[in-house]
Amino acid sequence: MPRRGSRAGRRHGAEWAATALLLVVLAPALWLLQMSFRTEASINGGVFVATLANYTSLAGSGFPASFANSVVASTTATALALLLGVPAAYALSRGGMRRRGTIAMWVLVTRMAPPIAFTVPFFLAFSWLGLIDTVSGLVVVYLTFDLAMVIWTMRSFFAAIPHSLEEAAWIDGAGVWGAFLRVVLPLSVPGLAATGILCFIMSWNDFFFALILTRTNAMTAPVAIVNFMQYAGWEWGKIAAAGVLVLLPVLAFTLLTRRYLVRGLTAGGVKE
Amino acid sequence: MGGKLRRRAVITGAAGMLALPGKAPAAVGAKPLSGVTLNVSCWNAPYPQFLKKYIPEFEQETGARVVYTTPAFPIYNQRMDIALATHSDAYDVINVTFIYIGRWVGAGWMTPLDPFIANPKLTPADWNPKDFLPGIEAAFRDSKGELCAVPWIADIMMSGASRYDLIHGAGLTMPDTFDEMHKMLAAVSHKDGLPGFVVENHYGWTFLGYLQGFGANVFRAPPHDLMPVLDSPEAVQAAEFFATIMRDYGPRGALSYTYDQVTAALKAAKVIYSTENEAFVTQMAQKGAPAAPTCGFSLFPKGPAGRFPQIATHGWGIPAGSRKKDAAWQFIAWAMSEKLLLRMFREQGWSSVTRRSIIDLPEFHAKLNYNGFDVAKIYLETLNLADKGYMAYRTVPAYPQIDRQINIALQSVISGEKKAAQAMKDAQHNSLEALRRAGVKL
Repeated sequence: MPRRGSRAGRRHGAEWAATALLLVVLAPALWLLQMSFRTEASINGGVFVATLANYTSLAGSGFPASFANSVVASTTATALALLLGVPAAYALSRGGMRRRGTIAMWVLVTRMAPPIAFTVPFFLAFSWLGLIDTVSGLVVVYLTFDLAMVIWTMRSFFAAIPHSLEEAAWIDGAGVWGAFLRVVLPLSVPGLAATGILCFIMSWNDFFFALILTRTNAMTAPVAIVNFMQYAGWEWGKIAAAGVLVLLPVLAFTLLTRRYLVRGLTAGGVKE
Repeated sequence: MGGKLRRRAVITGAAGMLALPGKAPAAVGAKPLSGVTLNVSCWNAPYPQFLKKYIPEFEQETGARVVYTTPAFPIYNQRMDIALATHSDAYDVINVTFIYIGRWVGAGWMTPLDPFIANPKLTPADWNPKDFLPGIEAAFRDSKGELCAVPWIADIMMSGASRYDLIHGAGLTMPDTFDEMHKMLAAVSHKDGLPGFVVENHYGWTFLGYLQGFGANVFRAPPHDLMPVLDSPEAVQAAEFFATIMRDYGPRGALSYTYDQVTAALKAAKVIYSTENEAFVTQMAQKGAPAAPTCGFSLFPKGPAGRFPQIATHGWGIPAGSRKKDAAWQFIAWAMSEKLLLRMFREQGWSSVTRRSIIDLPEFHAKLNYNGFDVAKIYLETLNLADKGYMAYRTVPAYPQIDRQINIALQSVISGEKKAAQAMKDAQHNSLEALRRAGVKL
């Protein structure tokens, strides 16, 4: 009996510790949430007076357009990265090329330096091509780093899928791409979900490239939020409300695919 | 021509998967700037927002199309720094930011404007360039003395009290000297639980009026002799004074106050007194602000060596990379014309004007009178002081590095981590190192 009691006590202790840890992790987001419902007068402390004014005032600003730009740029970049990167990853995983390791390393080169190193080349090239302040320009930039992520992540997922499954499909008459589409890809759904979410988050949270390569037409939500930091004072209410709205798509996307996400993040780590 | 065809071919080929916005062919008309598109940008402040409402008139008058952007201050500066450094033609008219004057003008990234001002085809005869206050304009002159921007704002440092009633109640007036200021803060601070004094934690800006007021300076004789002199006895004395008033009369966490927090505290009457930018302290007088009925204003106090209120200015300039310089100048000449500035003052209340003819108007003084305090008079007196040239340190391209050292030194003195003498000695040593790294000959 005493042993069972101490085990239960340990379990409760672990639960309390987990809850405390969760609160610590969630504290900034919860703080942001409560701040977004505060009036301007109470935003820097004082009695909490609830209001929706911060959200309604966003509607009249350019924020909805920036939010839409973020959605379009991030989803397009993610979809294109998956469309182009998944077959590339499969080819690099299964193909018989002699230099596939070298090719894979070259794919990763865009992630080997901090973003600021690519700023001037991107700015000059985009100015020349007329891509400054266009959503399509942002998609191109996001593709450069999303593709590296897709190729490297999916390559390890494909490596974890036994060859024998494809061989069985080939014996049944499927071609290389038939086996890929009908056998390998369905087995990789958790990996696709995890990779897609990571790509989306990377594009969605980009601030630096959107800052340099946009003006007003293609401005994204993270840049629009910083625009609320005015010289005559920071609009904390709008910053908080916009911050909460920016959290929502990633939260929704993650909740919808969390079943795959957990499996996806843990799969591919061990080769059979 | 070839370049354009190549560019078009690249875009057409590469963007097949994505629709790119196209440009409508320019309409040809009788107006002087028909078919010209001007890219104009300034950080988001009241003046560029006021100006936005008049831009359709310029477009209507000239036939030009103006693409006008006003991002937040940090975003604007980051974008411009890259555009100017790459000699890009992405912008035709930009704001020359005060803290970047040394860098942008010093590097030759801005176009000298004197030839445009002198050209009667581009500048109306009644434009009157001498109407701009020379003390402000001086900040935008390059090493050859050529004007590289036309100032649209002069943000002066002045004194503001959110609870002048407490000061008056203690039998005192707005302090005119550092000694009076210390005496006043000792009399009113922490009465009613209110801290007496706070300024923003950018001490490379907010401390400089005190540094110079005690007879010290950042450099020996800027802009020509850039030997730092931060460890002089006067500089140490200034640091001790400043740290004492911050420590003894400041709020809890005074070291963490940014400009918006100082402004919010003053507006809410949660701190009694500050020496800050006019743009911040005059917000106390806004309708509905708790401090509005009790606020008071005065000149920045003087020290043993005199009065040195800091002045920040921003101006319209033309990037060296612009390909539409004549049209760009016509925009600047229009935006900074006396006629338009007077309309902006009368119709929208723009008050930080840089033209003497407007500042001298009785209606200007009447409008900037808060609780009997003539802020227009304070404004003009402060701008006249700038003629002494004490702001020259600010135009040194390497000043941002020294600014950082001053911040570090003052933080360590206010927090009690170091004595003033040691902190300023360290600042001097580190500034010397920073200047040598920047290639400055000492």
